Amino acid sequence: MNRQLLPKLLEYIADKHPRSRRGVEEAMRVSPQKFTEIAEMFLGWLVKALGDDGIQRAADAFVQFSTDVNLAQARYEVDGSYQNKSFAEVYANHYSQIDTMNEYLWGIYLTNFLWAHHTEISLLYADTFLAKLPATSQIVEIAPGHGGWGAWALSRLPQAQLQGFDISPSAIQIASSVTRAAGVADRATYTERDALDLTHMPQSIADGLICNFLVEHLERPEKLFAVVSHLLKPRAIGFITGALTAAQVDHIYEFRYESELVKMCEEQGLRVLQTLSVGPTRTLPQARFLPRSMALIVQKRCGEFY
Amino acid sequence: MSDTLMRLTAVFHDVFNDDELVISRDTSAKNIENWDSLTHVTLIVKAEKEFGVRFTSAQVAGLQNVGELIDLIEQKAGR
Ligand SMILES: C[S@@+](CC[C@H](N)C(=O)[O-])C[C@H]1O[C@@H](n2cnc3c(N)ncnc32)[C@H](O)[C@@H]1O
Repeated sequence: MNRQLLPKLLEYIADKHPRSRRGVEEAMRVSPQKFTEIAEMFLGWLVKALGDDGIQRAADAFVQFSTDVNLAQARYEVDGSYQNKSFAEVYANHYSQIDTMNEYLWGIYLTNFLWAHHTEISLLYADTFLAKLPATSQIVEIAPGHGGWGAWALSRLPQAQLQGFDISPSAIQIASSVTRAAGVADRATYTERDALDLTHMPQSIADGLICNFLVEHLERPEKLFAVVSHLLKPRAIGFITGALTAAQVDHIYEFRYESELVKMCEEQGLRVLQTLSVGPTRTLPQARFLPRSMALIVQKRCGEFY
Repeated sequence: MSDTLMRLTAVFHDVFNDDELVISRDTSAKNIENWDSLTHVTLIVKAEKEFGVRFTSAQVAGLQNVGELIDLIEQKAGR
């Protein structure tokens, strides 16, 4: 593994984006050794996918994305509700826009380790969820976006296969480039499709399911849990994440309490095995809302209590 | 000192909780230890209120120093 990429990223951030340095240092402190491993893995794929200036481009995109998020949060503190209410509006202005989505997805790609609280989620994903998946898993990834989560799963499980579905053409293109960069493209397929249409697929096809940061983008999030339940084999497991009281231009459904996500899982035939709710250590002054991210490891029940 | 810089200095004093802070057009996050991404947004929202303007996220992310912020405020406020 090329060990030179993280120092390059850190140097670029310190020089061009000094305001972002403190957050990155916090992320490194969560688990310095694992941080370095995850960062080098993601940056290695990034440079293979985007070329030599990939680190700079993604770092600029990360800073833009983080600014979008912080500014949206500041406006949310004043307004008391998210800016957008309709999925159609977000689709037209955002998911279908190639340039906007390219920058957005590479920005998010880096948040997986550059936001301290997301580093914690990445550790749960790798150490607990991936560790539980059978070696020959058929994995479904809903809303892969940049594809980093799926590429990580396939790298860890050399016999697993993955089918990914995302509504954005840019996501399909970027996720495909990331799996190619990770050397796992022969085991991954990506299709442009609305997650909520996936109930039309055969039932019980997945040994493992990944669905990160989609649920808050939907008008009727409970429908997504029905899709997860439809696709998972009995007792198979899924990794789902969502955002609570965290504004973003494309967040529509405002989850306020962790229990709302748990309840939606339970009502759709999923048992909640493990949860993690994390938030940033620094917030806006006098904030009413803590922008949290929650991860759930769920299991498809085969009866009411089993 | 320009009127904008004077009023902006008061915003900096408030956000950084430091009445001794001296800022100039060249001041950037490299000179002010606590000027991180969250403080930046706090500063921007307070400046928006002080000057009656509103910035886009791309403008906010791109600002390199106080001088660029002053120029943007003056351009938005039509000065
Ligand atoms: C915040 S990104 C998350 C990307 C990635 N899963 C991650 O966690 O880093 C949200 C993704 O959901 C996709 N998306 C939004 N609505 C969707 C829908 N109804 N069906 C499928 N994908 C959707 C977007 O195109 C985008 O790629």
